[in-house]
Amino acid sequence: MPRVLVIIPAYNEEETIGDVIAALRSHSPEYNVLVIDDGSHDRTAERVRATGHAALVRLPYNLGIGGAMQTGFKYAIRQGYDIAIQCDADGQHPVEQIPSLVERLSRNDADVVIGSRYVADSGYTPSLSRRIGKSILSRLVDALIGGGITDTTSGFRAMNRRALEVFADRYPDDYPEAEALVILHMCGLRAVEIPVTMHPRKGGVTSIKPPHAAYYMVKVGLAIFVDLFRTTKRTTSGEP
Amino acid sequence: MDGYTQTGIQTAHRLGILGLSVLLLAVVLELVRRGYLKERYALLWLATAGLSLLVGAFPSIITWLAHLFNFQYLTVLFAMYFAFTLALVLCFTIVISRLAERNRELTQEVALLAHKVEQIEKDPPP
Repeated sequence: MPRVLVIIPAYNEEETIGDVIAALRSHSPEYNVLVIDDGSHDRTAERVRATGHAALVRLPYNLGIGGAMQTGFKYAIRQGYDIAIQCDADGQHPVEQIPSLVERLSRNDADVVIGSRYVADSGYTPSLSRRIGKSILSRLVDALIGGGITDTTSGFRAMNRRALEVFADRYPDDYPEAEALVILHMCGLRAVEIPVTMHPRKGGVTSIKPPHAAYYMVKVGLAIFVDLFRTTKRTTSGEP
Repeated sequence: MDGYTQTGIQTAHRLGILGLSVLLLAVVLELVRRGYLKERYALLWLATAGLSLLVGAFPSIITWLAHLFNFQYLTVLFAMYFAFTLALVLCFTIVISRLAERNRELTQEVALLAHKVEQIEKDPPP
């Protein structure tokens, strides 16, 4: 059995984090849970401690989703986990479908498995400009990495040890999901996707400010462009 | 002559350049001496002061460049200092980026260590 760690980055998620951990405990008690409290100002940390089912790493200030996830990757490597799952704290990611991600990963023909939102009933409708921006970038990234990924920005994903080692070394600061796939590809690793159905938000307002569409496009576009010309050290691959 | 270039550089301007260069050189060296400025970051400032001094000593460099680009020599002078400023600002942004990167790594390391300490305090090894 591979050792699996579910990493939940949380920034001011006191309303939902407890339920997410409870759902994980009831569906997959064999998975360990790690919450990265990314400098929350609310009672996120208390809620996590109250569950008694999750390890808690608290960042002294808000690093952003990329920096928070990378903290989790480093933890996973140091604690000797074989597989890490990234899962949102707002309850939209279907924790009951994590075993499908793990199962797909254990076929050993991919290093990252993405849970793709073919059916997105998230109750969150991004602005038109942002949707267009995301769609253009998504196609660009998909083309760059050789196709096969329709939802490049989904943050619901499973990673094996090789992918974790790449990401622990290099992971983008903000809006990391799409760029991470390019980094992965440049390091000679492979991503696949399986369809999942997202849950609607459990309550509260989203704490994630939708990025300005133009900034998002330019920032991620530039980062990806630069990644393509970077000399990458290929990870010494061996069986995980 | 087309009227744009002048054959010589005005003495007042030349003295200005020389004075500025010497002042800059003195200030930078003093800051390094007092430890306010690290040597590695002082190098670009010293290069600026040094080249400026060179121009003051051999003003024909400026008039030659002015002739080459068909500029007035004052324009060339300002362009030169502007280029130095750009180089310095670029250098600073590189330094800031590196500091931000290291800061992020340190932050992650501190958080992971704090977690470990908490674990050990809760459940001390025998």
